[in-house]
Amino acid sequence: QVAAPASLLADAVRLRADTALVAEGNVEVLYRGTRLRAARIVYDRAGDRLLIDGPITIEDGENSLILADAAELDDNLRNGILTGARLVLDQQLQLAASRIDRIDGRYTQLSNSVASSCEICAGNPTPTWEIRARRVIHDQLERQLYFDSATFRLLGVPIFYAPRLRLPDPTLDRARGFLLPRLRTTSQLGTGVKLPYFVPFGETADLTLTPYLSSGTRTLELRYRQAFATGALQLDGALSNDDQPSEDPRYYLFADGSFALARGFTLNLDVEQVSDSAYLLDYGYSERDRLQTELELVRARRKDSFRAALTDFRTLRDAEIPIADQLPDLYGVIGYERRVDVGRGELRFGLDAATLNRASDAPGAGRDVDRAAVAAEYLRAIPLRWGMLGQARAGFTASSYTTRDDPRFAPTTAQLTPHVVAELRWPLARAGTDGVRHLLEPVVQLAYSRTSGNTVPNEDSVLVEFDSGNLFSRSRFPGIDRIETGARANLGLGYTRTDPEGWTLGLTVGRVLRAEADPRFLPGTGLDARLSDWLTETRLDIGPGFSLSNRALIDDGLGITRNEARLTLDNGRASLDTTYVWLEASALENRPNDVQEVAFDGSWRFGESWTGIFDGRYDLASEQAARAGLGLEYRSQCLSVDFSLSRRFTSSTNVSPSTDFGLQLSLAGFGPNTNGTAGRRGCSG
Amino acid sequence: CGFSPVYGPGGQAEGLRGLIRTDPPADAQGYTLVRRIEERLGRPENPAFGLSASVLTEQAALAVTPDQETTRYQLRGTMIWSLTRIADGASAASGTLHRATAYSAPVFSADRGSIAGNTVSVLTAEQDARRRLMVILADDLVSHLLATAPDWQR
Amino acid sequence: ALLSQGAEIAFGGLSQDTGLPVEVGADKLEIDQADGAATFTGNVEISQGEMVLTAGRARVIYGADGAITEMQASEGVTLVNGGEAAEAAEAVYSIEAGTVVMTGDVILTQGSNALSSQRLVIDLARGTGTLEGRVRTIFQPGAQ
Repeated sequence: QVAAPASLLADAVRLRADTALVAEGNVEVLYRGTRLRAARIVYDRAGDRLLIDGPITIEDGENSLILADAAELDDNLRNGILTGARLVLDQQLQLAASRIDRIDGRYTQLSNSVASSCEICAGNPTPTWEIRARRVIHDQLERQLYFDSATFRLLGVPIFYAPRLRLPDPTLDRARGFLLPRLRTTSQLGTGVKLPYFVPFGETADLTLTPYLSSGTRTLELRYRQAFATGALQLDGALSNDDQPSEDPRYYLFADGSFALARGFTLNLDVEQVSDSAYLLDYGYSERDRLQTELELVRARRKDSFRAALTDFRTLRDAEIPIADQLPDLYGVIGYERRVDVGRGELRFGLDAATLNRASDAPGAGRDVDRAAVAAEYLRAIPLRWGMLGQARAGFTASSYTTRDDPRFAPTTAQLTPHVVAELRWPLARAGTDGVRHLLEPVVQLAYSRTSGNTVPNEDSVLVEFDSGNLFSRSRFPGIDRIETGARANLGLGYTRTDPEGWTLGLTVGRVLRAEADPRFLPGTGLDARLSDWLTETRLDIGPGFSLSNRALIDDGLGITRNEARLTLDNGRASLDTTYVWLEASALENRPNDVQEVAFDGSWRFGESWTGIFDGRYDLASEQAARAGLGLEYRSQCLSVDFSLSRRFTSSTNVSPSTDFGLQLSLAGFGPNTNGTAGRRGCSG
Repeated sequence: CGFSPVYGPGGQAEGLRGLIRTDPPADAQGYTLVRRIEERLGRPENPAFGLSASVLTEQAALAVTPDQETTRYQLRGTMIWSLTRIADGASAASGTLHRATAYSAPVFSADRGSIAGNTVSVLTAEQDARRRLMVILADDLVSHLLATAPDWQR
Repeated sequence: ALLSQGAEIAFGGLSQDTGLPVEVGADKLEIDQADGAATFTGNVEISQGEMVLTAGRARVIYGADGAITEMQASEGVTLVNGGEAAEAAEAVYSIEAGTVVMTGDVILTQGSNALSSQRLVIDLARGTGTLEGRVRTIFQPGAQ
């Protein structure tokens, strides 16, 4: 294999009588991707050696840079010694050493080396952290750093000593090995440490095993990820032996997969299993109080939408565990809707089949239901005079039910509900001064429908909401088991003000006037009376950083049935997300008394690298905090530290109040840089 | 009082219906969004503008009982949209909308009067909330486009 | 300012005795009556001992005693001496000073190494050469 030629550039070249070649002035040597720059090079061709005077820089690709005062290398720059040298990897990790040896262009050996990714300035010579080692070997092919008798120092104080230490260099992102430990203290499980171990499987899969040992538990957590050509799968789980009341072994498994199939279909898999109801909370794995394991096949296109799913439920709620067999545990649905252009309008038709199963067979409480429904509707927009826009819709829904284990319903029942709707919109606009735009849009919708057939069980239309999303919808029941009937008028007025300065105000007011009240709308929904509650919605957005929104249902006596507000702020330095919710007591929703609660989470960056994080939930009705959390994050160019402290005040037979303290430290410069550009700045002063 | 019908003769959105073609949806909620936008802005016959909108949703737990039961969920949606002129591909308008809706997840108790809160009634309440959120986002976008039509319809 | 420091090169490994007789051959010769200089044109070849200098045109200047004091070669000059060869646009060989100064796209080849620059000064007495101007050297690293 013929050696590739090397080229040398210099301001001047002298050839001495002993055939040595002396190059001086901006000397550059280029050889196979390695570029060497120096003040003076003597090329002793007899010995094939380069004697180099600094300042020397050697660049090996864009990830490795060596700076040195003097060096002696062979002429293919692969072997040799550099003195007073520094190795800089990926512009981040710096390793200073009294002497660096280059071996076969692959290994760089540093003697008496100091490694750190922190900014070392004349002003403060001790970096936040550093690793001192008698010897460091950098393997450029395997991208690993091997330290001999290494001492880790934090702020100059030696923290721990390791005879041998192996760490990935900054460019290696899928290196097998231990990740940095995490500390976790909770009132139930005591103080423990988590030490994750990462195992990559080729380019497309990896496994992270994390032993979590504390005075109260011996746990192994695992996370497995795999990417496929057409999808991805992730498994998260844990197995524990601990001193908590629930009997060992305790475990949980969450799986989440999504795969693209032919002709635009997607298969989604979502598994959520756990050994006992308190496990997820005790270990802080999840705050979900109900688990769903679901297999779903979906496709959505412009003109049609298909979904088939099988869902298995499991409740973790104390009140529901004793009667879990009366909760539907298996639920299968197939839903399809298609839109076809017919003349100037559109024909929509679809089918919706569902099957629901309860473990219990007790009459009434253990009801199982199979339902099939077809629906069709023709709708057409009709532009009218003076800029009015009409819309007419007519259609029907027909459904048939097979009910088991419920004497109140005949085994097979059916219903037919035709409907007709006429809507009139009249959007009006006004141009304000300097670019302000106003839009006022009154809307009147008249609807009539009537159901004929038997009374059918109601499983999917129990929880009714009234907001601007269904002020003008054909039926405000969420499902098909109940369809809104009778003659009614839905009235609404929308106002929008946009300002070129970047703020927008939106107001919506609405009300439903019925010929007669519909008893199936129960108190608490705001729709139970003949004249519904007033629906008011306000939205104020100022630039991207400020958004205030409120939705309230107010009855004629100015009593508030429902009131929800949200404020989000983000000005780069501080962010706040606050929600307030007020819900009137409602038997329908098994809510014995009013709920009034405020929840907030926010962060505030102070100084260059510190960020405070706080979150909380306060139950105003019972004057009790439910949850409070504090966190402190330190991000610098070379180190990130996360403290977190949270207290959950909730208490019940299975779930006890707990305090959770976490500490996590990660060094930039080993493995991919997770600090982004935080704190990357030159030496100040 | 200075207000004039947008679709009326000489109105700022006269002839706008059918001019905007929305990108095809990628998922079920996108289908509801596109269906509502086409219902409000008309089927795209000879489109002069292309509208692309993507919606990210997340759920926040509210009304958490002392027994750590979440009885209310807020479904938050962030829609990033942009309107481009099909003739030259230039961006005519763009923006971000943050809207939210909510649904209840009551505790299913033994001494209940109704079967509210059973797992299926909560699941369908969530799916209905998602549909309502798409209608709210679509209607807000249409109001914004109608209000600012003179600025982008040149 | 560009460093004009010298870059010495051992030229031919052996010094050149400038006292040796010089032979000049060419297609045409003109004598300039005014200063007695001779202008050779067409395939000019000047040789002295081992060293041979060829050029398109050469102007030879004689001293009072009739001996050659200086030769000015141009129109593509090549100089060969032992293992090395040098090419340039022009060259001035000064017998008295014992130097050859080559200028203009100078290329010096030594075995598999090639050096290029704008100016090369060869000191025949000490057997060294100096290249100046942005010097580019292509060398073959040692055996792999």
